[in-house]
Amino acid sequence: MDLKERLSGDLQNKEHPSFTNFDTQNQQKWEDPSMLDYSTRIEPPHFLGFNQSSQTQPSNNQIKVPGQDGPVNEALQANKVQEWDPSTMLNNLSFLEQKIHQLQDLVHLIVGRRGQVLGRPDELVAQQQQLITADLTSIIVQLISTAGSLLPSVKHTLSAATPSIGQFGQFGGVVFPPGQGMNGGVQPQNASASKVSEQPNTVDVSSNSGNEQNHIIEEHDMKDEEDAEDGENLLPGTYEILQLEKEEILAPHTHFCTICGKGFKRDANLRMHMRGHGDEYKTPAALAKPHKESSSEPTIIKRYSCPYAGCKRNKDHKKFQPLKTILCVKNHYKRTHCDKSYTCSRCNTKKFSVIADLKTHEKHCGKDKWLCSCGTTFSRKDKLFGHIALFQGHTPAIPLDENKGSIGSCNYTQKSGEE
Amino acid sequence: MSSSSQSTKNIFSLTEDLLVRVYEKLAFESDRKSFRLVCREFRRIDSLTRKHLRVLRVEFLPSLLQKHPQLQSLDLSSCPRIDDGVVSLLLTRVGPGSNSVSWASWTQGLRRLVLSRATGLRFSGLEMLARACPSLESVDVSYCCGFGDREAAALSCAVGLKELKMDKCLQLSDVGLAKIAVRCLKLEKLSLKWCMEITDLAVDLLCKKCVDLKFLDISYLKVTNESLNPIASLLKLEVLCLMACPLIDDAGLQYIERGCPSLKAIDVSRCEGVGSSGLIAVVRGHHNLVELNAGYCLTELSSTLLHWIKNLKQLEMIRIEGARISESGFQVISTNSKSLLEIGLSKCVGVSNMGIMRLISGCINLRVLNLTCCHSVTDAAISAIADSCRKLVCLKLESCNMITEKGLCQLGSFCLLLEEIDLTDCCGVNDKGLEYLSRCSELSCLKLGLCTNISDKGLFYIGSNCTKILELDLYRCTGIGDGGLEAISRGCKKLTKLNLSYCNEVSDRGLGYISNLEELFDLEMRRLDKVTGVGLEAIAAGCKRLADLDLKHCVKVGDSGFWALAYYSRNLRQINLSYCAISDMALCMMMGNLTRLQEAKLVHMTNVTVEGFELALRACCVRIKKVKLLAPLRFLLSSEILETLHARGCIIRWD
Repeated sequence: MDLKERLSGDLQNKEHPSFTNFDTQNQQKWEDPSMLDYSTRIEPPHFLGFNQSSQTQPSNNQIKVPGQDGPVNEALQANKVQEWDPSTMLNNLSFLEQKIHQLQDLVHLIVGRRGQVLGRPDELVAQQQQLITADLTSIIVQLISTAGSLLPSVKHTLSAATPSIGQFGQFGGVVFPPGQGMNGGVQPQNASASKVSEQPNTVDVSSNSGNEQNHIIEEHDMKDEEDAEDGENLLPGTYEILQLEKEEILAPHTHFCTICGKGFKRDANLRMHMRGHGDEYKTPAALAKPHKESSSEPTIIKRYSCPYAGCKRNKDHKKFQPLKTILCVKNHYKRTHCDKSYTCSRCNTKKFSVIADLKTHEKHCGKDKWLCSCGTTFSRKDKLFGHIALFQGHTPAIPLDENKGSIGSCNYTQKSGEE
Repeated sequence: MSSSSQSTKNIFSLTEDLLVRVYEKLAFESDRKSFRLVCREFRRIDSLTRKHLRVLRVEFLPSLLQKHPQLQSLDLSSCPRIDDGVVSLLLTRVGPGSNSVSWASWTQGLRRLVLSRATGLRFSGLEMLARACPSLESVDVSYCCGFGDREAAALSCAVGLKELKMDKCLQLSDVGLAKIAVRCLKLEKLSLKWCMEITDLAVDLLCKKCVDLKFLDISYLKVTNESLNPIASLLKLEVLCLMACPLIDDAGLQYIERGCPSLKAIDVSRCEGVGSSGLIAVVRGHHNLVELNAGYCLTELSSTLLHWIKNLKQLEMIRIEGARISESGFQVISTNSKSLLEIGLSKCVGVSNMGIMRLISGCINLRVLNLTCCHSVTDAAISAIADSCRKLVCLKLESCNMITEKGLCQLGSFCLLLEEIDLTDCCGVNDKGLEYLSRCSELSCLKLGLCTNISDKGLFYIGSNCTKILELDLYRCTGIGDGGLEAISRGCKKLTKLNLSYCNEVSDRGLGYISNLEELFDLEMRRLDKVTGVGLEAIAAGCKRLADLDLKHCVKVGDSGFWALAYYSRNLRQINLSYCAISDMALCMMMGNLTRLQEAKLVHMTNVTVEGFELALRACCVRIKKVKLLAPLRFLLSSEILETLHARGCIIRWD
């Protein structure tokens, strides 16, 4: 199993001082006898290894520097964190403090009762572990979000050593190495990881944890706008450019089950599917992600180029703007370079090449067509009223001004068609 | 003989312009009517100078409009049969003699048009009117429940509109209001009460376009604080009514604090979200506030709010219904608000004699005082009020049980200007008290409902002295009988409104006296068990002006009475016949003959068959506006008649 390698690889980038503090604190706690079972799982040696390796690989870090700002920016946009509020931070910190104290008390309690329950079956121990895991998870989630709120200010002031949100997520992955029958903490941890899944690296770590994780990521990808990375200023050469061919882009499924032939868009989904074919596919090793990052360079950021020559998204374009994910590539290619084959069944005029766009349109098509006397139509009433407020003499049109006797949205469309 | 001919010669020798001046001095409509009836010349003067016309029957409208060239104001609200067809007829062909010009001449000078409850009218008729009257400044289409955006669009053709009342135009939405806001830029007064579809968007647009607004009523609307921001930007706004706007709260009133520099009056009564802090904001921002209505939105008149109210040196009216107020609060108001003319303390908690005494010690100019349901008020307080507030015009004491003839004695001695007093449910009022009260000879409105301790003797005093009474409420005064009514009918000749409901001693003889009241307009006589058709016949024959009649539960009245109504009471506008023993024929006669009838309550009439209802409704369907029927009839009446009623804008209330 390559998990160890990958983890250590992922951990190379961590060196935020406060974070190390947190590690040691926790480690102290975990050294508590009652947690013995647990602490073996977290494999403390890795932490040591990670510090050393990060020091011994300065060049590696330097390469990563420019690339790191980008994801941070994105995370900001996605989270809508505009300002850093010190009072919120203080609140968060005191919440953390409280939580840690609670956990400490709990562990003390367990230690105290340990003598009495010595002869009890393992279930109790397992329950205790679950309890503690859950608490720890919530602490970590809180810490990550707290640190996340700090990021905007950090971005300008601190140097390249600032860890991105994604790295916090990775840390989560380290504390609870997935695929080892973790009982309590898996789901919360997934949630924490999905929060920060803008960072592609995170996906690599956490997708091991379970099926739910994959779904979350999938949903997230669906929402990805191709223009989402417009604000990002990656310097040329700091990322790897991949270009999928047209056929590859338009292929509906890229992963096929070797047993039944069912196709999947994602390998992770295929792996989940494979579980149904037998126990041999349920082992952590089989469920784990095939080791791409461990073998290739994990720190290089990937960006995509559109295969259509002359397109701004094509790498040969003068003002090339790369696409962020494969999904962006697919949506971009379909929207820009393909026929719009999906026609709205309601208005029969609007056409789309991406079926999701059609569905979005159909939700609003036909209803609430707001029409101004100048002939302009608006999908929303407030937009129409804004327009009317702006232009002298424009008034909202009442459909029956022209068509006496019948009421209905059809009149609007007729009218807009005429004008 | 010679002297009489001399005088006749004198009055006829007056030149036309002098006659016009005399005519203009006549304040009352009834006097003008008498003037008209003197001779043809006087009638001509009336026609030529008349500026306001209130038409009751559509059939006379064309000739009336032709005869009154100076018409500035036309009130069609009592004219139930007005509809698009009539309007187009009026506009194109006025009378048989006139040339068919594009628009009739009467429209040229028309400034004001009252179309309240003109439910037969629709947008095409409105648009014709709006386009035909170039000088139109004021339009009232309130209570035209069917009116909506198309009607608003039609009205917006009158671009010179300054005043518009659209209360209860239920179909009006943002789009319609936007039409008006965009086109009628001179709008100064706008009332949108109960236009429930209006939202913040339209209010925002209105405030951006109609910057001259001085009066805005958006009571009962579901608008939020978002609306108050643009409203605050109206520099000329003087009156703002926000009554019972459930979504407006204190945060919204902060906008008003910083805006509306001309604000004189604000009404936030029954706004659930408004409390002390919002009012403080309003008061803090507007030192020149004249009227403040905060009824039923305060739990307590806090000292902070009082502190700011102190600064309102021009405050004339304050209403804090339902709030708790302390004696010191009264003291603060008393010492600082010397200009107060009206105080509303209805249902306030903590109103004590001491408090009232402190209050009136400063506010000696008080004209209107409302102490409804201030149960602890006694004669001591009333005496103090009578002693200091000599200018008091209106005093409301409903449910003040502790008041006796002593208090009324003081009022009768000092408050001689008193015009309106409400003593409903004051069981301490007796005949002696009425004797004292009758000294207030200016009294025009007297409410004695539920005063069971008064008898004919008390009414005798009222009838003898209070000759100016217009409105008398004797609801459930079970102690009174025919004798009291005789006194009233002899003395109170101007009585227009009378409530005799549940005065079960009243018989046909009493109604015979009542029939002498020629001005009687509104008569409520529910459950008069002794009254038969004879009494109703007398009323019908005598009270020619009767417009509103409630006969609910008058079970002994037979068809003869209803026939008489059908024949004589041609001015009836509203009638309640519920639980009456009326027959099919009589009902049909009434509904067909009473050409001004607009509203009828027709439930639980056991002698009327479905066919009877069907025929009666057919007979009145072109003019009836509101009818109450038993729910089962919904399925028994023909769909044809129901559709016709609906098309005419008639509202059917299924009971």
